[in-house]
Amino acid sequence: MNEFVESRVRLTWPDRLRSEYDVVILGGGGHGLATAYYLATRHGIRDVAVIERGYIGSGNSGRNTTVIRANYGVPEAIRFYQRSLELFQGLEEETGRWIMHKEKGLLWIAHTEMGLRAERARAALNHAYGAETVFIGPDEINEICPQIDLAGGGRYPVMGASYHPRGATARHDRVVWALAEGAMQNGVEVHQNTTVTGLKVSGDRVTGVKTERGDISAGVVMMALGGQVTMVASMAGLRLPIRSHPLQAFVTNHYQPGLDAIVASTELLFYASQTARGEILIGAEIDRQPSYSYRSSYGFLSSCAGRALALLPFLADLRVLRQWAGICDMTPDYSPVMGPTGREGLLVTTGWGTWGFKAIPAGGEAMAQLIATGEMPELIAPFGLDRFARDLPLSDRGSAGTQ
Amino acid sequence: MAVALLRQGIHPRGGGCICLGGDCPNCVVEVDGVAYVRSCQVAARPALEVARQTDTPRLPDESRPLETELRTAFADVVVVGQGESGLAAARDADGTVISFDAHRGEEAIGLYAGPTVVAKTPAGMVSVQCSRVVVATGAAEEQPICPGSELDGIFTKRAAESLRAAGIDLGDAVTIDEQPQRFEGSGRVEAVVTAAGDRIAASTVVVDLGLHPRSGLLRMGQGLEVEVVGDAALTDSLPPPPTEGVVCPCSDVTVSDLEAVWDRGFREMELLKRATLAGTGTCQGGVCLPHLRSYLAAKGVSTPAPFTARPLTRQATIGEVAAGYDLPPFRRTALHDEHLRLGATMDRFGAWWRPWRYPDPEAEYWSVRERVSLGDVSTLGKMEISGPDVVALLEKLYPCRVADLKDGQVRYALLLDERGYVLDDGLICRLSEHRFYLTFTSGGASFAEMWVRDWAETFDLDVRILDRTMSLGAINVTGPLARELLRRGGVDSPPAYLAHVDAAVFGVECRIVRLSFTGEVSFELHHPFSDSVELWRRLEEAGADLGSYPHGLDALFTLRLEKGHFIVGMDSEYDSTPRRLGLEWAARLSKPDFVGKQALLRTNRLPLNKRLLGWEMDGPAPIEGAILWQVATPVGQVTSARYSPVLAKTVMLGWLRSDPAEPEGISCDGRPVRHASHPFYDPDGARARA
Repeated sequence: MNEFVESRVRLTWPDRLRSEYDVVILGGGGHGLATAYYLATRHGIRDVAVIERGYIGSGNSGRNTTVIRANYGVPEAIRFYQRSLELFQGLEEETGRWIMHKEKGLLWIAHTEMGLRAERARAALNHAYGAETVFIGPDEINEICPQIDLAGGGRYPVMGASYHPRGATARHDRVVWALAEGAMQNGVEVHQNTTVTGLKVSGDRVTGVKTERGDISAGVVMMALGGQVTMVASMAGLRLPIRSHPLQAFVTNHYQPGLDAIVASTELLFYASQTARGEILIGAEIDRQPSYSYRSSYGFLSSCAGRALALLPFLADLRVLRQWAGICDMTPDYSPVMGPTGREGLLVTTGWGTWGFKAIPAGGEAMAQLIATGEMPELIAPFGLDRFARDLPLSDRGSAGTQ
Repeated sequence: MAVALLRQGIHPRGGGCICLGGDCPNCVVEVDGVAYVRSCQVAARPALEVARQTDTPRLPDESRPLETELRTAFADVVVVGQGESGLAAARDADGTVISFDAHRGEEAIGLYAGPTVVAKTPAGMVSVQCSRVVVATGAAEEQPICPGSELDGIFTKRAAESLRAAGIDLGDAVTIDEQPQRFEGSGRVEAVVTAAGDRIAASTVVVDLGLHPRSGLLRMGQGLEVEVVGDAALTDSLPPPPTEGVVCPCSDVTVSDLEAVWDRGFREMELLKRATLAGTGTCQGGVCLPHLRSYLAAKGVSTPAPFTARPLTRQATIGEVAAGYDLPPFRRTALHDEHLRLGATMDRFGAWWRPWRYPDPEAEYWSVRERVSLGDVSTLGKMEISGPDVVALLEKLYPCRVADLKDGQVRYALLLDERGYVLDDGLICRLSEHRFYLTFTSGGASFAEMWVRDWAETFDLDVRILDRTMSLGAINVTGPLARELLRRGGVDSPPAYLAHVDAAVFGVECRIVRLSFTGEVSFELHHPFSDSVELWRRLEEAGADLGSYPHGLDALFTLRLEKGHFIVGMDSEYDSTPRRLGLEWAARLSKPDFVGKQALLRTNRLPLNKRLLGWEMDGPAPIEGAILWQVATPVGQVTSARYSPVLAKTVMLGWLRSDPAEPEGISCDGRPVRHASHPFYDPDGARARA
């Protein structure tokens, strides 16, 4: 047995799909399960079904690169992700489950005067809105992560960085399972291998969902779908400002701990960290072409490897184990969408682009509060779908790390 | 190498069934500092340093130079595998054929869209795009899953044949053809207990348990032109369900681990895999996949599918896959060496190397304000556009009027997207009735060309577009003595403010465009880049006694900030409408139509949530990005901040994230800040127009 075999979580599955629930959540990923978890544990709403097409966490929740951070570039996002970061810090204690949460500190490296300017501004804004980020120079970078080549492969010299000491990682699957188990223990039903075929619509109101296993009536339907949300939304005649792009990543074999910090560079376009198991995990930009394809590309692997080596040349002899892709729902402003849809009875949490994992607890907490109270929580009020029509976008392209 | 080690009586990993087929992790060693190398796939040669791999290797301390090369090729057919069926497929294929033979160290690592096959070979990485792929990868031999499977002295049938062929004596080897109950021994196998319960003493056991197709590439190629031949096409039959022992030797997962997570609800192949890590190690399921499937089948899961096949099917290092990749280079203007000669520190700005300082920004600054200075603005986006519909197109593209421009006139313009957000800014110069010259920001140049072309196509307008960004250089001659320097260059009638003329300057044909970013009289000399050095040197020489000194970006940013000019992307944000920037005048909503007009008509009626404003304060400039506070509440952020030598105070642009009538009690960097109208310097623009 290896030390990472999941030895505590117990998942309990319902025997049958009922025809009516108070709340139906579409999507058994992190956001759907977190919402169910907080509904059941904070609001006593337990007549909840989570409908999942595959297995829990099979979408982006099991494909992301597991970074937790709050060093965003607009005030609303900083507050929201800071809440999420704090909820992550307490999640192991709350659930009693080991999600391999580890605070590592995140270095966001700048290679030009303009890069320095951006990272200084990020540190100032983060500090003002409650996230801990400081601007540091090459010497401090070297102290935090001695493996970084300050010459940056010749073309990308390291001139400074914003450092986010609370930046962390956790194992994505375990976050999903801990939340699923907590929800299940409190009466939530999670139905895997159940495909949604339609939404039940009565006038302007969504009254339930149709699935391959039968129709379900629901007081509230929440879409927490990654990658396919526009298709399901269109079943209610709803258009979302989302384009889906693949995002790729790769891991190496596992090694003893040694890369302590999370290293990212917007100008080089890559980020790297070491997983709890010891694999080096490297990701970069989204594929330019919108697509639902999960196929990896060699061009990505090769260029991403090359860019990573400019900053972390000691990785050259590590053997690549596996590459994969997830589908990112990109919004025009690089911020998520949470809240009402304009169809009564239908809520949405989407637009999770490349920043969804780190938002799981706060997103679930807020959506549960919205379902329970009918009121948009202040924390997510700016993230409503209506912000585009109101011309109040939350532009944060520079914080995606993956533009 | 594995054979060489075994010949010496050394098990590469210390124990575990040896397959010599590249399918299992049991011969993994460290070769020349690279961990996780399957010794059966590497040719032994002198001076290779081989070490037994500790359970979890350490990260390397340092790196070696990258030496691997990437070769790209095209072929009609790629055949992966050169066994009997692979050879036949290569022989019978029409057109050009490229084959990869794992026995010669040519390992296909992945099959990608195209189809494209990437292989690691002794000569380097090879990427072949083709019309058709033939997967002839054969089949892997089933591994024994039972207690004792980690002992030394266990070989698959093929491995045993290879070893014997290499002259290695396997002694009293016993062959079994069913999954045994267990192996016994300590370190080395001493006996095997067969499925029937017979205990057979043997120091070497050969297992002949059947074949499983190596279908990774095939599954990876779903939806592509891929066919499969030979043993790789075998129907995969499931082994008996494992009952005890290690199922996944890479991650050390036992049957009881599977049992434990199954009992706690992990009942999908993927959940079982993710909860135990079985199949996520070096061999990517090569050993355990058939057994996991049969485990699940025995639990009543109907036809458990194999998990998704992903590259890499065989491993390569990060350094190897990076072969052929070069970091994006930064462009140099034709004047790059001139800047270096003048002692400039260069920085990368957008896609370009640009002079940052020469290296004294204060001297550069005063040279502009008081005398004359040269600036290299070759990086500006430049475009010539002509044709019968050119006015119609530009009227739609730009929010300002274009049709009323007279020949020789220049107009500053914003470029908006459909949401009414500022994409870029630049100049519109009218050359003649149907011919214009446009400039864009350095960072916006490549996007601008795409943008203009897209809209020309969308509106189906008859125009010719020529991107001159790379073919023309541009030098900004700026300062109160700029006119005198031009006169010395032979220009007696320089253009008036907001005008342009074509004229020779020191014999170099230039388009002289007059506007001002610095706040002083400025002439941009656009010219063929091949003349840039000549023109620069002549200007430099002729300006020497005028006190001319070139200026870099650092000084330019101060000069333009004193004038309150915003820079796209530095001061503006994604959602910057003309109204938010305080540039309502730049969008003429009375025009019949332009890109962004409909959005502006709608959003201009909404409450204004933020504004880019001018600010000033005493003392040195705070960082660009400093927060604007109203008492203890953050209300905005500075985007540009410079100490103004001529005004002896700090001037700034910054966003106020609310819309109070007059912002009161604002501070920044612990000091009071005053809202101030901009331009801060020469607000009437008398100096620029002089």
